[in-house]
Amino acid sequence: MALGLKVTNVSKTWNPDGPEPVPAVRNLTLDVELGEFVVLLGPSGCGKSSLLYIVAGLEDATEGSVTFDGLEVTEPSPERSLIFQEAALYPWLTVGDNITFGLKIAGQTPKKQDEAAERLLRLVGLVGAGDKRPHELSGGMRQRAALARALAMEPKVLLMDEPFAALDIQTRARMQSHLLNIWESSKASVLLVTHSIEEALALADRVVVFTARPGQIKAEVPISAPRPRDMRSPEMIDLAIQCEALLAEEVEKSFKEQEQELA
Amino acid sequence: MTDETLGSPMVEEKQSSWLKRLLKRLEPTLWVFASLSIFVGFWEFAWWRGWANPLLLPPPHIFLANLPDQFRFFDPGGTRAGALATGGSIFSVLGVIAWSSFRVTAGLVLGFTLSLAIGIGIRYFRIFGKLMLPLVTMLAPISPVAWLPVAVFIFGIGNPPAIFLVFIAIFFIMTLATLSQIDSVPVHYIQLARIMGCNKRQIYRHVILPAILPELFVTLRMNLFAAWMVVLIAEAVGVGSGLGQVTMMARNTFNASLVFFTMTLIGLTGFTFDQALRYVQRKVLWWVGPSSVGGL
Repeated sequence: MALGLKVTNVSKTWNPDGPEPVPAVRNLTLDVELGEFVVLLGPSGCGKSSLLYIVAGLEDATEGSVTFDGLEVTEPSPERSLIFQEAALYPWLTVGDNITFGLKIAGQTPKKQDEAAERLLRLVGLVGAGDKRPHELSGGMRQRAALARALAMEPKVLLMDEPFAALDIQTRARMQSHLLNIWESSKASVLLVTHSIEEALALADRVVVFTARPGQIKAEVPISAPRPRDMRSPEMIDLAIQCEALLAEEVEKSFKEQEQELA
Repeated sequence: MTDETLGSPMVEEKQSSWLKRLLKRLEPTLWVFASLSIFVGFWEFAWWRGWANPLLLPPPHIFLANLPDQFRFFDPGGTRAGALATGGSIFSVLGVIAWSSFRVTAGLVLGFTLSLAIGIGIRYFRIFGKLMLPLVTMLAPISPVAWLPVAVFIFGIGNPPAIFLVFIAIFFIMTLATLSQIDSVPVHYIQLARIMGCNKRQIYRHVILPAILPELFVTLRMNLFAAWMVVLIAEAVGVGSGLGQVTMMARNTFNASLVFFTMTLIGLTGFTFDQALRYVQRKVLWWVGPSSVGGL
C-alpha cells in the first residue's frame, strides 16, 4: 500500500458545462511522501490552489484520482488540513476556542480541549492569547493561531495556500522558520503553494514548478541543503536562478494569455 | 496652550484629565440635547414670531406646560373613550407606554425568531426552500397596513392583532435578510468547518448561525422603527388602548397639544428602544467590534 499523497493524472475544469469552461489544471501527477515538504511554485492563477482544494477534498477532480494512504479522497477530512492566506478564525470564538473547534466537534471533553489549547498555544508561540479575540491579534499571530487550529487535528498532511502572502516581509521570514520547526517536530507532510521563489527555496524538500494555466508540472527541483538555508550561498543562488528562469517563461505566457483574453 | 500644558504641575494635569474624562462620558448626551434643541428652538422661534398657530402647532413649552391636564387622557386599560375631568397620573402614562412597548417587543421577538428559523429552513431543506421562497418574496412587498383588516378578521380586537402586525412588518424582510446573510458567509468559514469534521447540521449551528446573527441584529434595529409605526396604526384601529389609541383620540377631538405630547412620548420611547437594542447587541454579540455595532 502506498503511503502518503498520490495525485494521478488529475485534471480540473471550472464550469465544465458552461459557455466558457476554464481549465485549471491538466494531467497532473504528483506524489508527496510521508513527512515530505513539497512547495508548488507557479505564476498567479495557474491552478496550483485548485490542486490544493482537490487534495483537501473540497473540490472534485474532473478527471484522474487522488489517494491518501491508499484511500480515494472523496471528501474533506481533518487529516488533510488546509490553511488559507487569511487565517479565517471564527470571530465569535476566542483564540483558544478557535484552536479547539475541531476537537469540540469530535466530542472531546472540555478538559482535554483546554489541555490541547494550552499545548498548541505554546507550540506556536501564543501563550496567553487563548482568551483573546481574533481581531485583537496581529496578522502573523492570527496565522499562527490558524496553524495551531490545523495542528490540533493532528493532520497527516498540511495543505497551505499562500499562507504567508498577506504578511509583511519580516513577519514572513519568522513564520517560515517557525513553520519549519513545527514541521520537523511533527511527522506531517506539507504541501505549500506560493508564488515566491525565495519562500519555496527556504522551505522545500522539493519545489514543483507549475506552467501557466492550465497548470501542468513544468519541472521538479529537489533541494537537499540543510535548513536553515543561507539564501546567499552559491548553491542557493544557483537554485534561485534556475527557478527564476523556469518561472519567468510561464509568467510571460500567462501575461500574454491574459492580454489575449482582454482583446 | 502647549506651553501651559507643558508647564502645569501634576495636580492640575490630573484635574484636567478627570474633567476630560467626564466630558467624554457626557459627550453623546450633550449631542443628543444639542440635536434636539435645534428642532425645539426653531419651533419656539416660529411660535414667537407668530408663524405657527398655537392652536394647530403648539410649541413644546405649551404642550408640556400642563402635564396633569395631558395625563388624564391616558388610560392603560383603554376603557376611557375620551377626556375625563379627573384621573390620570404619570403611572397611567407609563402604563400606556408599557402596553405599546409590550406589543412591539412581542412582535419583534416573534418576528426575529420565526424569520431566522424559516430563513435557515429555506437554505437547509432544499424542497422546503423551493416551496417557501416564492411565497415569501411575493408576500414581502405587501404593506403591514394592508394586513390590518386580516389581523382583525383573524384575531379580533386586543393585543393579538397589534402583535401580529408588528410581526408581519418585520417577518418577511427579516427572512429575506437571513437568506442573504447565509449566502454571504465567507466560504472559507464553511470549508474549514467541513475539514474539521462538521456535518451539515453542525455547520449551520456552529458556523452559519453565529456568522449571520450580528448583521441580522442590525437589520432588526433598522426595522424597529417600522415596528413602532405599525403598532400605532394597529392601536389606533384595532386595539383600543396604547399610544396609538391616544393619538387617534387626540386627532378626533382636535387636541393638538395632546397630539404633540403623544408624539414626544413615542419619539422618546422609540429612542430608548433603539438604545436598549444596541445594549443587547453589544452584550450578546460581543465578538462584533464596537465600531460595527454603531452606525445608524
